[in-house]
Amino acid sequence: MASFDKKPTFAGLKLRLMNSWMFVAFFIGFFLFWEYSVLWFDIPLYILTPPSLIIENGAADLPRLLDYTLVTGTEVIIGYVLAVVLALPLGLAIAFSTILKRTIYPFIVCIEMVPKIAFAPLFISWLGFGLLPKVIIVFLVCFFPIVLNAILAFNSLSEELTLFSRSTGAGIWRTFFKVRLPAALPQCFVGFKYAAINATVGAAIAEFIGSDEGLGFYIQIVTGNMRPDLAFAGIFFLTLLGLCLFGLVTLAERLLIPWHISVRRN
Amino acid sequence: MSNQIKFSGVKKVFGRGPDAVHAFGPVDMVVEDGEFVSLLGPSGCGKSTLMLMTAGLLDVTEGTVQIGDRTVNGPQTDIGIMFQDNTLVPWRTVRGNIELQLEMRGISVASKRAEIDAILASVHLEDFADRHPYELSGGMQQRAAFCQAMIHAPNTMLLDEPLGKLDAMTRERIRSDLQSLWMEQRPTVLFVTHSIEEAIQLSSKVAVITPRPGRIERVIDIDLPYPRDYEVKRSPEFSAYVHETQEIFRGYGVI
Repeated sequence: MASFDKKPTFAGLKLRLMNSWMFVAFFIGFFLFWEYSVLWFDIPLYILTPPSLIIENGAADLPRLLDYTLVTGTEVIIGYVLAVVLALPLGLAIAFSTILKRTIYPFIVCIEMVPKIAFAPLFISWLGFGLLPKVIIVFLVCFFPIVLNAILAFNSLSEELTLFSRSTGAGIWRTFFKVRLPAALPQCFVGFKYAAINATVGAAIAEFIGSDEGLGFYIQIVTGNMRPDLAFAGIFFLTLLGLCLFGLVTLAERLLIPWHISVRRN
Repeated sequence: MSNQIKFSGVKKVFGRGPDAVHAFGPVDMVVEDGEFVSLLGPSGCGKSTLMLMTAGLLDVTEGTVQIGDRTVNGPQTDIGIMFQDNTLVPWRTVRGNIELQLEMRGISVASKRAEIDAILASVHLEDFADRHPYELSGGMQQRAAFCQAMIHAPNTMLLDEPLGKLDAMTRERIRSDLQSLWMEQRPTVLFVTHSIEEAIQLSSKVAVITPRPGRIERVIDIDLPYPRDYEVKRSPEFSAYVHETQEIFRGYGVI
Protein backbone atom coordinates (compact mmCIF):
# COMPACT_ATOMS: atom_id res chain seq x y z
CA MET A 1 0.00 0.00 0.00
CA ALA A 2 1.22 3.47 -0.77
CA SER A 3 2.16 5.74 2.09
CA PHE A 4 -0.17 8.60 2.88
CA ASP A 5 -0.98 11.33 5.39
CA LYS A 6 2.05 13.40 4.48
CA LYS A 7 1.20 16.46 6.48
CA PRO A 8 4.04 18.92 7.15
CA THR A 9 5.40 18.25 10.63
CA PHE A 10 8.10 19.96 12.65
CA ALA A 11 10.33 16.89 12.44
CA GLY A 12 9.80 16.83 8.69
CA LEU A 13 10.76 20.47 8.41
CA LYS A 14 13.90 19.88 10.47
CA LEU A 15 14.85 17.00 8.19
CA ARG A 16 14.34 19.12 5.12
CA LEU A 17 16.45 21.92 6.57
CA MET A 18 19.20 19.45 7.45
CA ASN A 19 19.07 18.05 3.96
CA SER A 20 19.32 21.50 2.51
CA TRP A 21 22.33 22.64 4.57
CA MET A 22 24.64 22.08 1.61
CA PHE A 23 22.51 24.35 -0.49
CA VAL A 24 22.43 26.99 2.24
CA ALA A 25 26.21 26.75 2.63
CA PHE A 26 26.66 27.13 -1.12
CA PHE A 27 24.28 30.08 -1.18
CA ILE A 28 26.16 31.89 1.59
CA GLY A 29 29.48 30.98 -0.03
CA PHE A 30 28.34 32.48 -3.32
CA PHE A 31 27.47 35.81 -1.77
CA LEU A 32 30.69 35.88 0.30
CA PHE A 33 32.68 35.22 -2.87
CA TRP A 34 30.81 38.04 -4.59
CA GLU A 35 31.31 40.42 -1.66
CA TYR A 36 35.03 39.86 -1.36
CA SER A 37 35.95 39.34 -5.00
CA VAL A 38 34.82 42.91 -5.71
CA LEU A 39 37.47 44.02 -3.20
CA TRP A 40 40.18 41.48 -4.07
CA PHE A 41 39.97 41.97 -7.83
CA ASP A 42 39.56 45.70 -7.38
CA ILE A 43 36.42 45.88 -9.56
CA PRO A 44 35.20 49.47 -9.94
CA LEU A 45 31.88 50.09 -8.15
CA TYR A 46 30.21 51.34 -11.34
CA ILE A 47 30.75 47.88 -12.87
CA LEU A 48 29.79 45.63 -9.96
CA THR A 49 28.92 46.39 -6.35
CA PRO A 50 29.21 43.99 -3.40
CA PRO A 51 25.90 42.64 -2.00
CA SER A 52 26.32 44.61 1.23
CA LEU A 53 26.28 47.87 -0.69
CA ILE A 54 23.26 46.71 -2.75
CA ILE A 55 21.34 46.16 0.48
CA GLU A 56 22.48 49.45 1.99
CA ASN A 57 21.77 51.65 -1.04
CA GLY A 58 18.65 49.71 -1.96
CA ALA A 59 17.28 50.33 1.54
CA ALA A 60 18.00 54.03 1.15
CA ASP A 61 15.99 54.10 -2.06
CA LEU A 62 13.25 51.84 -0.68
CA PRO A 63 10.27 54.22 -1.10
CA ARG A 64 10.90 54.53 -4.83
CA LEU A 65 11.52 50.80 -5.22
CA LEU A 66 8.26 50.00 -3.43
CA ASP A 67 6.33 52.49 -5.55
CA TYR A 68 7.70 50.96 -8.72
CA THR A 69 7.08 47.41 -7.48
CA LEU A 70 3.44 48.42 -7.11
CA VAL A 71 3.40 49.84 -10.66
CA THR A 72 4.97 46.75 -12.24
CA GLY A 73 2.92 44.50 -9.96
CA THR A 74 -0.29 46.10 -11.22
CA GLU A 75 0.73 45.49 -14.85
CA VAL A 76 1.64 41.88 -14.08
CA ILE A 77 -1.52 41.06 -12.12
CA ILE A 78 -3.96 42.67 -14.59
CA GLY A 79 -2.23 41.10 -17.60
CA TYR A 80 -2.04 37.68 -15.94
CA VAL A 81 -5.62 37.61 -14.69
CA LEU A 82 -6.88 38.75 -18.10
CA ALA A 83 -4.88 35.98 -19.74
CA VAL A 84 -6.35 33.34 -17.41
CA VAL A 85 -9.89 34.65 -17.77
CA LEU A 86 -9.77 34.72 -21.58
CA ALA A 87 -7.43 31.81 -22.35
CA LEU A 88 -9.17 29.17 -20.23
CA PRO A 89 -12.62 29.46 -21.86
CA LEU A 90 -11.01 29.73 -25.31
CA GLY A 91 -8.94 26.60 -24.67
CA LEU A 92 -12.10 24.83 -23.53
CA ALA A 93 -14.01 25.96 -26.61
CA ILE A 94 -11.22 24.85 -28.96
CA ALA A 95 -10.98 21.49 -27.20
CA PHE A 96 -14.64 20.75 -27.85
CA SER A 97 -15.24 22.40 -31.21
CA THR A 98 -14.03 20.82 -34.44
CA ILE A 99 -14.52 24.10 -36.29
CA LEU A 100 -12.45 26.11 -33.82
CA LYS A 101 -9.83 23.36 -33.80
CA ARG A 102 -9.44 23.73 -37.55
CA THR A 103 -9.45 27.53 -37.62
CA ILE A 104 -8.31 29.28 -34.44
CA TYR A 105 -6.09 26.49 -33.12
CA PRO A 106 -3.57 26.45 -36.02
CA PHE A 107 -3.61 30.25 -35.92
CA ILE A 108 -2.70 30.21 -32.22
CA VAL A 109 0.05 27.66 -32.81
CA CYS A 110 1.50 29.94 -35.53
CA ILE A 111 1.41 33.01 -33.30
CA GLU A 112 2.98 30.97 -30.49
CA MET A 113 6.06 30.72 -32.74
CA VAL A 114 6.39 34.52 -32.81
CA PRO A 115 8.32 35.98 -29.86
CA LYS A 116 5.59 38.10 -28.26
CA ILE A 117 8.14 40.47 -26.77
CA ALA A 118 8.95 41.63 -30.33
CA PHE A 119 5.53 43.30 -30.43
CA ALA A 120 6.36 45.50 -27.45
CA PRO A 121 7.74 48.53 -29.40
CA LEU A 122 4.68 48.43 -31.67
CA PHE A 123 2.22 48.45 -28.81
CA ILE A 124 4.10 51.28 -27.11
CA SER A 125 4.02 53.33 -30.33
CA TRP A 126 0.31 52.63 -30.76
CA LEU A 127 -0.82 53.08 -27.18
CA GLY A 128 1.74 55.34 -25.52
CA PHE A 129 3.76 55.07 -22.32
CA GLY A 130 0.93 54.19 -19.94
CA LEU A 131 -0.34 51.06 -18.25
CA LEU A 132 -2.25 49.60 -21.20
CA PRO A 133 0.62 48.56 -23.54
CA LYS A 134 2.41 46.83 -20.62
CA VAL A 135 -0.74 44.97 -19.64
CA ILE A 136 -1.12 43.84 -23.25
CA ILE A 137 2.47 42.56 -23.42
CA VAL A 138 2.07 40.66 -20.13
CA PHE A 139 -1.24 39.33 -21.41
CA LEU A 140 0.33 38.13 -24.68
CA VAL A 141 3.22 36.43 -22.90
CA CYS A 142 0.82 34.61 -20.53
CA PHE A 143 -2.07 33.88 -22.87
CA PHE A 144 -0.50 31.27 -25.14
CA PRO A 145 0.91 28.80 -22.62
CA ILE A 146 -2.44 28.87 -20.80
CA VAL A 147 -4.52 28.34 -23.92
CA LEU A 148 -2.32 25.53 -25.29
CA ASN A 149 -2.23 23.68 -21.98
CA ALA A 150 -5.98 24.12 -21.54
CA ILE A 151 -6.64 22.55 -24.96
CA LEU A 152 -4.38 19.65 -24.04
CA ALA A 153 -6.03 19.37 -20.62
CA PHE A 154 -9.60 19.22 -21.85
CA ASN A 155 -8.71 16.78 -24.62
CA SER A 156 -6.96 14.22 -22.43
CA LEU A 157 -9.78 12.65 -20.44
CA SER A 158 -9.09 8.91 -20.28
CA GLU A 159 -11.09 6.57 -22.51
CA GLU A 160 -12.46 4.78 -19.44
CA LEU A 161 -13.74 7.96 -17.77
CA THR A 162 -15.31 9.08 -21.05
CA LEU A 163 -17.15 5.75 -21.35
CA PHE A 164 -18.06 5.82 -17.66
CA SER A 165 -19.58 9.29 -17.99
CA ARG A 166 -21.60 8.27 -21.03
CA SER A 167 -22.79 5.07 -19.36
CA THR A 168 -24.36 7.09 -16.52
CA GLY A 169 -26.49 9.06 -18.95
CA ALA A 170 -25.32 12.32 -17.35
CA GLY A 171 -25.71 15.51 -19.40
CA ILE A 172 -22.78 17.52 -20.71
CA TRP A 173 -22.80 20.07 -17.85
CA ARG A 174 -22.92 17.50 -15.10
CA THR A 175 -20.17 15.51 -16.84
CA PHE A 176 -18.16 18.71 -17.22
CA PHE A 177 -18.29 19.81 -13.60
CA LYS A 178 -18.03 16.40 -12.00
CA VAL A 179 -15.49 14.70 -14.26
CA ARG A 180 -13.96 16.75 -17.08
CA LEU A 181 -13.07 19.93 -15.20
CA PRO A 182 -11.39 18.35 -12.16
CA ALA A 183 -9.56 15.89 -14.44
CA ALA A 184 -8.25 18.80 -16.56
CA LEU A 185 -7.04 21.01 -13.70
CA PRO A 186 -3.53 19.53 -13.27
CA GLN A 187 -2.61 20.18 -16.91
CA CYS A 188 -4.20 23.66 -16.73
CA PHE A 189 -1.91 24.47 -13.83
CA VAL A 190 1.12 23.59 -15.96
CA GLY A 191 0.07 26.52 -18.17
CA PHE A 192 -0.75 28.81 -15.23
CA LYS A 193 2.68 28.23 -13.69
CA TYR A 194 4.59 28.68 -16.92
CA ALA A 195 2.71 31.92 -17.55
CA ALA A 196 3.40 33.13 -14.00
CA ILE A 197 7.13 32.68 -14.51
CA ASN A 198 7.07 34.68 -17.74
CA ALA A 199 4.71 37.46 -16.67
CA THR A 200 7.40 39.62 -15.00
CA VAL A 201 9.71 39.14 -17.98
CA GLY A 202 7.04 40.65 -20.23
CA ALA A 203 6.41 43.58 -17.89
CA ALA A 204 10.11 44.40 -17.45
CA ILE A 205 10.88 44.35 -21.17
CA ALA A 206 7.80 46.43 -21.99
CA GLU A 207 9.02 48.98 -19.47
CA PHE A 208 12.55 48.96 -20.91
CA ILE A 209 11.12 49.99 -24.25
CA GLY A 210 9.01 52.90 -23.15
CA SER A 211 7.79 54.02 -19.75
CA ASP A 212 8.31 56.59 -17.06
CA GLU A 213 7.74 54.37 -14.03
CA GLY A 214 8.02 50.76 -12.90
CA LEU A 215 10.89 48.41 -12.01
CA GLY A 216 11.98 47.92 -15.64
CA PHE A 217 12.14 51.68 -16.06
CA TYR A 218 14.09 51.95 -12.78
CA ILE A 219 16.64 49.28 -13.74
CA GLN A 220 17.25 50.98 -17.08
CA ILE A 221 17.66 54.47 -15.62
CA VAL A 222 19.99 53.50 -12.74
CA THR A 223 22.11 51.37 -15.05
CA GLY A 224 22.47 54.43 -17.30
CA ASN A 225 23.58 56.37 -14.23
CA MET A 226 26.25 53.73 -13.55
CA ARG A 227 24.55 52.51 -10.40
CA PRO A 228 24.66 48.70 -10.66
CA ASP A 229 23.90 48.53 -6.92
CA LEU A 230 20.46 50.04 -7.51
CA ALA A 231 19.97 47.94 -10.66
CA PHE A 232 20.49 44.82 -8.53
CA ALA A 233 18.04 46.17 -5.96
CA GLY A 234 15.51 46.62 -8.78
CA ILE A 235 16.19 43.10 -10.05
CA PHE A 236 15.68 41.81 -6.51
CA PHE A 237 12.23 43.38 -6.28
CA LEU A 238 11.32 42.15 -9.77
CA THR A 239 12.32 38.64 -8.71
CA LEU A 240 10.30 39.00 -5.53
CA LEU A 241 7.28 40.03 -7.60
CA GLY A 242 7.65 36.97 -9.83
CA LEU A 243 8.05 34.69 -6.81
CA CYS A 244 4.91 36.14 -5.20
CA LEU A 245 2.84 35.45 -8.32
CA PHE A 246 4.28 31.96 -8.69
CA GLY A 247 3.67 31.36 -4.97
CA LEU A 248 0.03 32.40 -5.29
CA VAL A 249 -0.49 30.08 -8.26
CA THR A 250 1.21 27.22 -6.39
CA LEU A 251 -1.00 27.90 -3.37
CA ALA A 252 -4.09 27.79 -5.59
CA GLU A 253 -2.83 24.51 -7.02
CA ARG A 254 -2.42 23.01 -3.55
CA LEU A 255 -5.91 24.09 -2.58
CA LEU A 256 -7.62 22.98 -5.79
CA ILE A 257 -5.82 19.73 -6.62
CA PRO A 258 -4.31 18.41 -3.37
CA TRP A 259 -4.93 14.91 -4.75
CA HIS A 260 -2.62 15.31 -7.74
CA ILE A 261 0.67 13.43 -7.80
CA SER A 262 2.74 16.58 -8.41
CA VAL A 263 1.28 18.16 -5.25
CA ARG A 264 1.43 14.99 -3.14
CA ARG A 265 5.13 14.45 -3.93
CA ASN A 266 6.07 17.75 -2.34
CA MET B 1 -38.30 -7.75 -16.20
CA SER B 2 -36.08 -9.94 -18.27
CA ASN B 3 -32.40 -9.12 -18.64
CA GLN B 4 -31.72 -11.56 -21.41
CA ILE B 5 -29.08 -10.26 -23.82
CA LYS B 6 -29.63 -11.23 -27.44
CA PHE B 7 -27.08 -10.68 -30.20
CA SER B 8 -28.44 -11.03 -33.75
CA GLY B 9 -25.95 -10.83 -36.60
CA VAL B 10 -23.85 -8.31 -34.67
CA LYS B 11 -20.91 -7.07 -36.71
CA LYS B 12 -18.41 -4.26 -36.25
CA VAL B 13 -16.28 -2.66 -38.96
CA PHE B 14 -14.03 0.27 -38.07
CA GLY B 15 -13.49 2.85 -40.80
CA ARG B 16 -14.72 2.82 -44.39
CA GLY B 17 -13.49 1.92 -47.84
CA PRO B 18 -10.21 0.11 -48.44
CA ASP B 19 -8.85 1.00 -44.97
CA ALA B 20 -11.83 -0.50 -43.15
CA VAL B 21 -10.97 -3.04 -40.47
CA HIS B 22 -13.40 -5.85 -39.92
CA ALA B 23 -13.08 -6.14 -36.14
CA PHE B 24 -15.88 -8.42 -35.09
CA GLY B 25 -18.70 -10.69 -36.07
CA PRO B 26 -21.15 -11.46 -37.38
CA VAL B 27 -22.20 -13.04 -34.11
CA ASP B 28 -25.43 -14.60 -32.85
CA MET B 29 -25.77 -15.50 -29.19
CA VAL B 30 -28.28 -15.39 -26.36
CA VAL B 31 -27.25 -14.76 -22.77
CA GLU B 32 -30.14 -15.87 -20.59
CA ASP B 33 -31.38 -13.94 -17.60
CA GLY B 34 -29.10 -14.55 -14.60
CA GLU B 35 -26.39 -16.33 -16.57
CA PHE B 36 -22.68 -15.71 -16.16
CA VAL B 37 -21.16 -15.78 -19.64
CA SER B 38 -17.47 -15.30 -20.34
CA LEU B 39 -16.18 -13.98 -23.63
CA LEU B 40 -12.88 -15.82 -23.91
CA GLY B 41 -10.38 -15.07 -26.64
CA PRO B 42 -6.89 -13.79 -27.51
CA SER B 43 -6.04 -10.08 -27.38
CA GLY B 44 -7.41 -8.06 -30.24
CA CYS B 45 -10.22 -10.48 -31.05
CA GLY B 46 -12.91 -7.90 -30.40
CA LYS B 47 -14.20 -9.08 -27.00
CA SER B 48 -14.17 -5.54 -25.64
CA THR B 49 -15.79 -4.29 -28.84
CA LEU B 50 -18.72 -6.63 -28.29
CA MET B 51 -18.99 -5.48 -24.69
CA LEU B 52 -19.03 -1.80 -25.63
CA MET B 53 -21.69 -2.51 -28.26
CA THR B 54 -23.77 -4.26 -25.58
CA ALA B 55 -23.46 -1.20 -23.34
CA GLY B 56 -24.53 1.02 -26.23
CA LEU B 57 -21.23 2.89 -26.01
CA LEU B 58 -20.23 1.81 -29.52
CA ASP B 59 -22.52 1.55 -32.55
CA VAL B 60 -23.01 -1.79 -34.25
CA THR B 61 -22.23 -1.79 -37.96
CA GLU B 62 -24.75 -4.53 -38.70
CA GLY B 63 -27.26 -6.51 -36.67
CA THR B 64 -28.90 -5.77 -33.32
CA VAL B 65 -28.25 -6.14 -29.62
CA GLN B 66 -31.30 -6.52 -27.40
CA ILE B 67 -31.45 -6.39 -23.61
CA GLY B 68 -34.79 -7.73 -22.43
CA ASP B 69 -37.27 -6.38 -24.95
CA ARG B 70 -35.31 -3.19 -25.72
CA THR B 71 -33.02 -2.77 -28.71
CA VAL B 72 -29.74 -1.13 -27.75
CA ASN B 73 -29.26 2.09 -29.73
CA GLY B 74 -27.54 4.39 -27.25
CA PRO B 75 -25.79 4.25 -23.87
CA GLN B 76 -27.59 1.84 -21.53
CA THR B 77 -27.92 3.40 -18.10
CA ASP B 78 -29.29 0.43 -16.18
CA ILE B 79 -26.18 -1.73 -16.45
CA GLY B 80 -23.04 -1.88 -14.34
CA ILE B 81 -19.82 -1.61 -16.27
CA MET B 82 -16.18 -2.19 -15.27
CA PHE B 83 -12.97 -1.84 -17.24
CA GLN B 84 -9.43 -3.16 -16.86
CA ASP B 85 -8.34 0.40 -15.96
CA ASN B 86 -10.75 1.46 -13.27
CA THR B 87 -12.87 4.57 -13.39
CA LEU B 88 -12.04 5.82 -9.90
CA VAL B 89 -11.22 9.53 -9.95
CA PRO B 90 -8.23 10.62 -7.84
CA TRP B 91 -9.89 13.74 -6.42
CA ARG B 92 -12.54 11.76 -4.55
CA THR B 93 -12.33 9.22 -1.74
CA VAL B 94 -13.59 5.66 -2.17
CA ARG B 95 -16.98 6.74 -0.80
CA GLY B 96 -16.90 9.87 -2.97
CA ASN B 97 -16.24 7.73 -6.03
CA ILE B 98 -19.22 5.52 -5.27
CA GLU B 99 -21.30 8.66 -4.77
CA LEU B 100 -20.07 9.95 -8.13
CA GLN B 101 -21.99 7.16 -9.86
CA LEU B 102 -25.17 8.27 -8.05
CA GLU B 103 -24.57 11.99 -8.59
CA MET B 104 -23.98 11.50 -12.30
CA ARG B 105 -27.35 9.77 -12.49
CA GLY B 106 -29.10 12.40 -10.40
CA ILE B 107 -29.82 9.91 -7.61
CA SER B 108 -29.88 11.38 -4.09
CA VAL B 109 -26.75 10.34 -2.23
CA ALA B 110 -28.39 10.76 1.17
CA SER B 111 -31.00 8.13 0.30
CA LYS B 112 -28.29 5.57 -0.48
CA ARG B 113 -26.02 5.87 2.59
CA ALA B 114 -26.98 2.43 3.88
CA GLU B 115 -26.47 0.82 0.47
CA ILE B 116 -23.01 2.38 0.15
CA ASP B 117 -21.99 1.08 3.57
CA ALA B 118 -23.36 -2.34 2.74
CA ILE B 119 -21.61 -2.70 -0.60
CA LEU B 120 -18.30 -1.47 0.92
CA ALA B 121 -18.64 -4.09 3.66
CA SER B 122 -19.39 -6.80 1.11
CA VAL B 123 -15.95 -6.27 -0.45
CA HIS B 124 -14.20 -5.68 2.91
CA LEU B 125 -13.49 -2.00 2.25
CA GLU B 126 -15.52 -0.49 5.11
CA ASP B 127 -12.34 0.80 6.80
CA PHE B 128 -11.10 2.45 3.63
CA ALA B 129 -14.18 4.46 2.68
CA ASP B 130 -12.45 7.77 3.37
CA ARG B 131 -9.19 6.91 1.65
CA HIS B 132 -8.28 8.12 -1.80
CA PRO B 133 -7.74 5.57 -4.59
CA TYR B 134 -4.00 6.28 -4.70
CA GLU B 135 -3.75 5.16 -1.08
CA LEU B 136 -5.04 1.69 -1.95
CA SER B 137 -3.42 -1.38 -3.48
CA GLY B 138 -4.40 -2.45 -7.00
CA GLY B 139 -6.74 -5.14 -5.66
CA MET B 140 -8.46 -2.77 -3.27
CA GLN B 141 -8.86 -0.24 -6.07
CA GLN B 142 -10.65 -2.83 -8.21
CA ARG B 143 -12.92 -3.70 -5.25
CA ALA B 144 -13.73 -0.02 -4.88
CA ALA B 145 -14.33 0.23 -8.63
CA PHE B 146 -16.69 -2.73 -8.30
CA CYS B 147 -18.70 -0.85 -5.65
CA GLN B 148 -18.78 2.20 -7.91
CA ALA B 149 -20.03 0.13 -10.84
CA MET B 150 -22.76 -1.63 -8.85
CA ILE B 151 -24.16 0.97 -6.41
CA HIS B 152 -27.11 1.75 -8.66
CA ALA B 153 -28.12 -1.94 -8.41
CA PRO B 154 -28.01 -2.89 -12.11
CA ASN B 155 -29.36 -6.30 -13.10
CA THR B 156 -26.85 -6.60 -15.92
CA MET B 157 -23.08 -6.47 -15.39
CA LEU B 158 -20.54 -5.94 -18.15
CA LEU B 159 -17.04 -6.68 -16.88
CA ASP B 160 -14.17 -5.99 -19.28
CA GLU B 161 -11.14 -7.78 -17.82
CA PRO B 162 -11.64 -6.16 -14.43
CA LEU B 163 -8.98 -8.42 -12.90
CA GLY B 164 -6.55 -8.09 -15.80
CA LYS B 165 -3.93 -6.01 -14.05
CA LEU B 166 -3.96 -7.76 -10.69
CA ASP B 167 -1.38 -10.17 -9.33
CA ALA B 168 -2.30 -13.87 -9.35
CA MET B 169 -3.14 -14.12 -5.63
CA THR B 170 -5.32 -11.03 -5.47
CA ARG B 171 -6.98 -12.20 -8.63
CA GLU B 172 -7.95 -15.57 -7.08
CA ARG B 173 -9.38 -13.83 -4.07
CA ILE B 174 -11.50 -11.32 -5.98
CA ARG B 175 -12.66 -14.04 -8.36
CA SER B 176 -14.17 -15.99 -5.51
CA ASP B 177 -15.76 -12.82 -4.08
CA LEU B 178 -17.26 -12.10 -7.48
CA GLN B 179 -18.60 -15.63 -7.63
CA SER B 180 -20.26 -15.37 -4.20
CA LEU B 181 -21.84 -12.10 -5.20
CA TRP B 182 -23.18 -13.51 -8.43
CA MET B 183 -24.57 -16.58 -6.61
CA GLU B 184 -26.39 -14.32 -4.13
CA GLN B 185 -27.87 -11.77 -6.51
CA ARG B 186 -27.86 -13.61 -9.84
CA PRO B 187 -27.42 -10.64 -12.20
CA THR B 188 -26.81 -11.33 -15.88
CA VAL B 189 -23.05 -11.09 -16.35
CA LEU B 190 -20.98 -10.68 -19.48
CA PHE B 191 -17.36 -11.17 -18.48
CA VAL B 192 -14.44 -10.51 -20.82
CA THR B 193 -11.24 -12.41 -20.10
CA HIS B 194 -8.31 -14.11 -21.79
CA SER B 195 -7.72 -16.50 -18.92
CA ILE B 196 -9.11 -19.95 -19.70
CA GLU B 197 -9.17 -21.03 -16.05
CA GLU B 198 -10.87 -17.85 -14.95
CA ALA B 199 -13.58 -18.23 -17.57
CA ILE B 200 -14.28 -21.86 -16.65
CA GLN B 201 -14.23 -21.24 -12.90
CA LEU B 202 -16.72 -18.37 -13.02
CA SER B 203 -19.03 -18.98 -15.93
CA SER B 204 -22.15 -20.93 -16.62
CA LYS B 205 -21.24 -20.60 -20.31
CA VAL B 206 -17.96 -19.80 -22.04
CA ALA B 207 -18.14 -18.20 -25.48
CA VAL B 208 -14.88 -18.99 -27.26
CA ILE B 209 -13.94 -16.19 -29.66
CA THR B 210 -11.65 -16.60 -32.67
CA PRO B 211 -8.77 -14.26 -33.51
CA ARG B 212 -9.64 -11.16 -35.55
CA PRO B 213 -12.15 -10.79 -36.97
CA GLY B 214 -13.67 -12.21 -33.80
CA ARG B 215 -16.46 -14.75 -34.17
CA ILE B 216 -18.01 -16.95 -31.56
CA GLU B 217 -16.47 -20.32 -32.39
CA ARG B 218 -18.32 -22.29 -29.76
CA VAL B 219 -20.37 -21.77 -26.65
CA ILE B 220 -19.34 -24.31 -24.01
CA ASP B 221 -21.79 -25.05 -21.19
CA ILE B 222 -19.80 -25.42 -18.01
CA ASP B 223 -21.67 -28.07 -16.07
CA LEU B 224 -19.88 -27.89 -12.72
CA PRO B 225 -21.39 -27.28 -9.28
CA TYR B 226 -21.13 -23.84 -7.62
CA PRO B 227 -19.34 -22.60 -5.60
CA ARG B 228 -16.36 -23.56 -7.71
CA ASP B 229 -13.71 -23.68 -5.02
CA TYR B 230 -10.34 -25.44 -5.02
CA GLU B 231 -11.97 -28.87 -4.83
CA VAL B 232 -13.85 -28.25 -8.04
CA LYS B 233 -10.80 -26.76 -9.72
CA ARG B 234 -8.79 -29.88 -8.89
CA SER B 235 -11.45 -32.19 -10.32
CA PRO B 236 -10.87 -34.09 -13.58
CA GLU B 237 -14.06 -32.51 -15.01
CA PHE B 238 -12.58 -29.02 -14.56
CA SER B 239 -9.35 -30.12 -16.22
CA ALA B 240 -11.31 -31.63 -19.08
CA TYR B 241 -13.00 -28.27 -19.75
CA VAL B 242 -9.64 -26.48 -19.62
CA HIS B 243 -8.16 -29.05 -21.99
CA GLU B 244 -11.08 -28.81 -24.40
CA THR B 245 -10.78 -25.02 -24.54
CA GLN B 246 -7.01 -25.10 -24.93
CA GLU B 247 -7.40 -27.46 -27.89
CA ILE B 248 -9.62 -24.92 -29.64
CA PHE B 249 -7.02 -22.17 -29.27
CA ARG B 250 -4.21 -24.52 -30.27
CA GLY B 251 -6.17 -25.17 -33.43
CA TYR B 252 -5.91 -21.46 -34.19
CA GLY B 253 -2.21 -21.36 -33.41
CA VAL B 254 -2.90 -18.85 -30.63
CA ILE B 255 -1.23 -21.02 -27.98
